[in-house]
Amino acid sequence: MDGHESNLPLAGIRVIDAATVVAAPFCATLLGEFGADVLKVEHPVGGDALRRFGTPTFRDGDTLTWLSEARNKRSVTLNLQHPDGARIFKELVAKSDVLCENFRPGTLEKWGLGWDVLSQINPGLIMLRVTGYGQTGPYKDRPGFARIAHAVGGISYLAGMPKGTPVTPGSTTLGDYMTGLYGCIGVLIALHYREKTGRGQYIDAALYESVFRCSDELVPAYGMYKKVRERHGPHHNDFACPHGHFQTKDGKWVAISCATDKLFARLAKAMGRPELASSSIYGDQKVRLQHANDVNEIVRDWCSSLTRAEVLERCYATATPAAPLNDIADIFGDRQFHARRNLVAIDVDHTGETIIVPNVVPKLSETPGRIKSLGPRLGEHTGEVLKDLLGMSEAEIGELRARRVI
Amino acid sequence: MPLSGIRVIDVGNFLAGPYAASILGEFGAEVLKVEHPIGGDPMRRFGTPTTRHDATLAWLSEARNRKSVTIDLRQREGVELFLKLVAKSDVLIENFRPGTMEEWGLGWDVLREANPGLVMLRVSGYGQTGPYRRRSGFAHIAHAFGGLSYLAGFPGETPVLPGTAPLGDYMASLFGAIGILLALRHKEKTGCGQVIDVGIYEAVFRLLDEIAPAYGLFGKIREREGSGSFIAVPHGHFRTKDDKWVAIACTTDKMFERLAEAMERPELASPELYGDQRKRLAARDTVNQITIEWVGSLTREEVMRRCLEKEVPVGPLNSIADIFEDEHFRARGNLACVEAEGVGGVVVPNVVPTLSETPGRITNLGPPLGNATYEVFRELLNISADEIKRLRNRKII
Repeated sequence: MDGHESNLPLAGIRVIDAATVVAAPFCATLLGEFGADVLKVEHPVGGDALRRFGTPTFRDGDTLTWLSEARNKRSVTLNLQHPDGARIFKELVAKSDVLCENFRPGTLEKWGLGWDVLSQINPGLIMLRVTGYGQTGPYKDRPGFARIAHAVGGISYLAGMPKGTPVTPGSTTLGDYMTGLYGCIGVLIALHYREKTGRGQYIDAALYESVFRCSDELVPAYGMYKKVRERHGPHHNDFACPHGHFQTKDGKWVAISCATDKLFARLAKAMGRPELASSSIYGDQKVRLQHANDVNEIVRDWCSSLTRAEVLERCYATATPAAPLNDIADIFGDRQFHARRNLVAIDVDHTGETIIVPNVVPKLSETPGRIKSLGPRLGEHTGEVLKDLLGMSEAEIGELRARRVI
Repeated sequence: MPLSGIRVIDVGNFLAGPYAASILGEFGAEVLKVEHPIGGDPMRRFGTPTTRHDATLAWLSEARNRKSVTIDLRQREGVELFLKLVAKSDVLIENFRPGTMEEWGLGWDVLREANPGLVMLRVSGYGQTGPYRRRSGFAHIAHAFGGLSYLAGFPGETPVLPGTAPLGDYMASLFGAIGILLALRHKEKTGCGQVIDVGIYEAVFRLLDEIAPAYGLFGKIREREGSGSFIAVPHGHFRTKDDKWVAIACTTDKMFERLAEAMERPELASPELYGDQRKRLAARDTVNQITIEWVGSLTREEVMRRCLEKEVPVGPLNSIADIFEDEHFRARGNLACVEAEGVGGVVVPNVVPTLSETPGRITNLGPPLGNATYEVFRELLNISADEIKRLRNRKII
């Protein structure tokens, strides 16, 4: 390990990622970016379903999502349904700090790998358990994906035109990623506690809860006033106006948001109509909210008379909060994304090709995270891990392979 | 509690960054909300008002577990007091426009001198560096800039808000909290603090699965997909007979087979028809139409019952009213009723995630402005009662 590697905050921490697709594995991805050694434990046949999620590539047909999100992981194949697979898994758990899993509740228990067993093997173990509905409650056995979690957690109901068909809130995997983030917070808090006490614990994360938690005042507003929030389309004018999406002359879109009167005054100036922000017209948020349709129409008319570049240039000149609705081509061409190195090209091992993936978030000044490698080939590291970590011989490994345990 | 003994100063406004302090507070950290003596955090006025003049519902819920301390950072003496507070704290969270704290004489170099172990989270629309760093950015702007808003809505139609307005603020805070916990770990090993720099747009952009590599490799620009997904069919929102909505997600062939059974049309999942995902994707409109018609012929309850019987991934599109009625939300304790000073019981979302040994908790909702100013200056900074009075009179605190 070089100086930077050993200096990373999670150097020396070993994580077993026995989960599939995005949610729990994204927690392991984050831990790996900051120095943890992540062992991706996969079924010997086919491996993680994420390998087939999205656009296939030249590398064994593994998808781009796999290559990007399984970054920094080592792939170890292991059939947990096989008693020998379960035994080896327990040996790995004994030598690890964190385990991420997302089987349906009761599955690991069925294989003799429940929390009671694993925590006995390793009392300091931290286990992240992710499912659609959590480990408890009446729906715990229902299948759940992010799309279902968006619906149950209340966010899908809010995306779309008023009374129209509710749409996907931007991306179908949002809830998976958000749960990975919450899971990672849980793991880091548990690690902090373990340093003090030596005791491990498990984190029970539900996809729908991550989505639901990020709902500002939706909950108290219903609790107190029985206010049911509905779909708002491109504008959300409950608290601020204008706050929405506007089309420009060249058929593109911009977002403009004036959360305060000061910001509206800047927009009025950008529009060349500072008088709109006077107290007798629309200077006051309350007045703007009462006349939201009129205010939106003024902004809409102004935006549609100019190109996107012109609208933005004028907004930026007066420090009005505005931005283009970037598509991915816009993002690849953007100076800020480049200056912040948000896009990074990484070699796909053994192919001589690179692919561009989103870089590490967040940025730490002293111990920045890094991407060492993209998603591994299925079972690429099985031999080395079993040999180095568990001290198995070539013969043993060959025998396990022949019996399809690994 | 895992974070007891950790002191956090939250000098941010609204949610982007401050929500990270909320999470740390839920797991035992002491959170001091440092606010301007006049008016305080503008989130106190953002959202639905309550009987308390200094608190909206959004403030009460999201400023949970804090003590409020007033300091005017635009005054020299305020800055000095603030540095004393920083010297006694572990974490500082701010979200001013980059350069603002430096203008007040509170740049990283000064703060680090006051406290070499300090962990500082800085959240802003575009991050601390790069050509746009000075631009003002809120979640709404970051959703657009980060590429999420472009994707919400029907193909070729108006892009809508991706569900809720402050989503990006939460996402930036989640990344921020991870950064803080990593930095605290590094500090424990080395004694050395550091800065975590989060652009809200980066938090949003990081979560967009393969959108970047797919453009980089194949020039593929993802467009709005309405209620569906490019990955699988049927995978979307469907209206029931009683004018409600359900989400159905047949990510794999097995799931579609189950749906076909739930529809009592198992033949649909045969290899000649739509048993294969590629065939379903090719016949997207037909498969969706079959699902639309079946769902439209039944009530939501009936669709849910039949799908669940066959283990089809299905869920109601819950409104907040549905959520309050739901037995699973109740069983998981997702809605917590907490007493708020001067308001009474307020229902708020409970702590996420759930930890088995050291669960988080909500000790109090958003505090009255300056409720801990005296206590903190008197006890933590050892300033005399007379001096506190003088500072108060001069509106420094």
